[in-house]
Amino acid sequence: MKGSFSTAWLPVIALAIACSGAMAATPGKARHHPPVKPAAAAKPPADFADQKTREHPLPFMLGGNPSTYKPLPRQDLLITHATVLDGAGRRFDDADVLSRDGRIVAVGHNLDGGNARVIDARGRWVTPGIIDPHSHDGTYSMPLTSIDDESGDVSEMSGPIAADTWIEHAINTQDASFIYALQGGITTLQGLPGSTPQIGGRAVTLHPIPATHVAAMKFPGAPQGLKMACGENAKGYFGGKGQKPTSRQGEMANFRDVFSQADAYRGMWRHYEDEPHGPPPPRDLKLDTLAATLDGDLLVQIHCYRADDMAEMQALAHEFGFKITAFHHAVEAYKNPDLFTETGTCAVVWSDWWGFKMEANDGIRENAALLDAAGACVTMHSDSPVIGQRLNIEAAKAAGAGRHMGLAEPPEHIIKWITSNPAKVLGLEDCIGTLAPGYNADIVIWSGDPFSIYTLADTVLIDGAIAYDRHDPAYQPLSDFQLGRKAGVSQ
Amino acid sequence: MIRALVLALLLTPGVASSQDLAAGKDLAVTHAEAWTMTGNGKVSDATIIVHDGRIVSVTAAGPVPEGAAVIDAGGRMVTPGLMNAATQLGLVETGAADETNDKSSSNTTLGAAFDVQYALNGNSVLLPVARADGVTRAVSYPGAAGTAPFMGQAAVIRLVESGDILERPQAAMYVQIGSATLSAAGGSRSAQWQLLRNALTEAGRYQPGKPDQPITRLDAEALQKVLGGQLLVILTQRESDIRQAIALAKDFKLRVALMGANEAWRCADALAAAKIPVILDPMDNLPISFDQIGARLDNAALLDKAGVPLAFYASGNTIYLSYDAGEAMREVAGMAVANGLPYETALASMTRSPAAIFGIGDHYGTLAKDQDADLVIWDGDPLEPGNYPWKVFVQGREASLETRQTLLRDRYAKPAALPPVYQK
Repeated sequence: MKGSFSTAWLPVIALAIACSGAMAATPGKARHHPPVKPAAAAKPPADFADQKTREHPLPFMLGGNPSTYKPLPRQDLLITHATVLDGAGRRFDDADVLSRDGRIVAVGHNLDGGNARVIDARGRWVTPGIIDPHSHDGTYSMPLTSIDDESGDVSEMSGPIAADTWIEHAINTQDASFIYALQGGITTLQGLPGSTPQIGGRAVTLHPIPATHVAAMKFPGAPQGLKMACGENAKGYFGGKGQKPTSRQGEMANFRDVFSQADAYRGMWRHYEDEPHGPPPPRDLKLDTLAATLDGDLLVQIHCYRADDMAEMQALAHEFGFKITAFHHAVEAYKNPDLFTETGTCAVVWSDWWGFKMEANDGIRENAALLDAAGACVTMHSDSPVIGQRLNIEAAKAAGAGRHMGLAEPPEHIIKWITSNPAKVLGLEDCIGTLAPGYNADIVIWSGDPFSIYTLADTVLIDGAIAYDRHDPAYQPLSDFQLGRKAGVSQ
Repeated sequence: MIRALVLALLLTPGVASSQDLAAGKDLAVTHAEAWTMTGNGKVSDATIIVHDGRIVSVTAAGPVPEGAAVIDAGGRMVTPGLMNAATQLGLVETGAADETNDKSSSNTTLGAAFDVQYALNGNSVLLPVARADGVTRAVSYPGAAGTAPFMGQAAVIRLVESGDILERPQAAMYVQIGSATLSAAGGSRSAQWQLLRNALTEAGRYQPGKPDQPITRLDAEALQKVLGGQLLVILTQRESDIRQAIALAKDFKLRVALMGANEAWRCADALAAAKIPVILDPMDNLPISFDQIGARLDNAALLDKAGVPLAFYASGNTIYLSYDAGEAMREVAGMAVANGLPYETALASMTRSPAAIFGIGDHYGTLAKDQDADLVIWDGDPLEPGNYPWKVFVQGREASLETRQTLLRDRYAKPAALPPVYQK
């Protein structure tokens, strides 16, 4: 039952998104979102541009680091004679892909690349860059040490509502995990806070090219995510210390309490916006985040395992009028695909991680395939640098389990689970995840079928620039940590 | 659409052969691509004859004995049942639920003497999952304990559908050396090595019945077995520790295998010379700790090139030690091949090689006369993700491929008049 809260969640700021890494060079080129200016450090992020027109802007989205990301040096490229999976469901055999100024210009046969550098991909496969919607790279930072045991950066553990935290403030950009991900064809990843607090804080979307500050890795103009978690973690950790919540019902009470406060806080600020007399209301950083959530300005990403937990969270979202962008892990999603198909919520799942705790007991490998067949948006995810290097194999295992039960889908469909579908989870479906004119030239050239265990990523391009090349040491980055150590990276 | 397909799936191949076998009939698997693991590659169009749970012969286009139950493999690949060289099958069911987790003990006086054989649960729902992925044997090894560096003694299990799963108790003693267990040994790996060396020395001169000795009777008896030739598996990663392991084996004349061994490639020749096999997870390529700076995907290939025997397992943040222990091991074997390991060596590292390391090679690990008829008929290359066994035989008996996970799948995917909770 709905309360008295506003149910108007705005359709996010996705309209203002800018795929700015590519920097559209030719005005008027077919493009369904506006071209973007390179972000300047002194200016507020592009995301918040609409707020600049207000005399007294709502503060809910203020903070964080404006992106200073710049694409690597690049040249126009014509990739020829490849088997191309466009990420949106189509396959092109013996096809070419042309990128110019960091954007895809064309996918087709016998393309004229003009002066573009030609890469012969005969016998090889080409896909969009792989997108990991659930990463802890940069906070679950290698090597792990006893210091992480005492005070790691994955979660702020001082209380169950860490809504005031932004994971971008913790990213160790020299975590080698980013580079291993890049070598596996990952071109964009969402860094999420951990799942111990019920509200873990704000997420960040990154390119996995280490820099000296997270700002230089931030995907320009990407919407921001909010991490939430339900189930065993919060009640186990905080309850174990004698704090609230000790139970699932305590977790729900906490959620309803803070969203109620956020709704009132939002109302107070809106009133001030309409009648800006006297000093502005006091800022509350936790309520800023939750008010932004109620405004639809944050993409809600919820860690949940059990089907009943996910139903409870959909009810919470309904009560307070926000949309759940994705359930992460979601090992019981197959039990109730309606939770996804009726809401547009995506399922962000593993292929075969389950069983390690009670709420994970009922995981099945066919989870992704069953949800996909039911019409839900399905994506794979890593959660760990171990599988954050090989989401293509995660998809292959999940698809194989589906095939084994009679739900066979071709590679051009399965690739969506790690390209265009996770792009939706990040609110970037108009920028990345698909090889089509106007999209960012985030491309992987694979040595063969990307769903074969024997295939390796040969070349990884981000915004049309080579970020990794398996055959060229000049394009094989090495983290500061590994430099000068006897690192095991294969040459 | 799901519903029709699932119904089609449920029309799985009949189990008439099991009935035949139960009646004491011989079994003949015909038209198999048999990977015998005897060092001769594959036998095409092979006929595999099984009598009384053991292999009689594997011959190209061989004849079928009269009265034998015949299974036409239709050209499918056949391997020995796989053996995972490091699992916690039968010891762990839901890792976070302590009641189902017997892998280690933190508050007893048992150190080296801790022995997992008494905890093995043949009714664990994780065993059918591993078996349906082609695993018919496994090492169940103890976890890190409060008695570092000692973990205790492992068992080899057989994944039979019913009855005793214990195949070889006390198949190996396990110790863990390195950063993962530093605190339990006072904070230094020197202490770890000294504790281990000292315990071996004290066990060697332990006198039964004499009071106040520096080692307990149980630990002394356990370590005396190691001094007498029982396998000692040293779970360690760093090059310096691997070289210490080589020295320990030499000094005490021990039979040692390494586990983990992310930096073993740096001393591959020394390991080969010392005849020390390596039990590894080919997926381990991350500098996840200071001990693993040298981890790399071609560790297996480099060790094999030097002549080091290999056995595989998969960890996956320890999840794969218990869950999907077969599927994950095949995946990591494929990764080893993708990074330079010969294909047949990868198969051997999941069959013949672990059998030899853990002392069951006399009756398991190859498709050869008198070996247990542990067979897997595959629906495709077992190293490719998404391929599965078509049929699994354990000691000549066909095993069901049904698991709690497939039952959950079918319960929610199948149409029915009553709610899922009524579907069994």
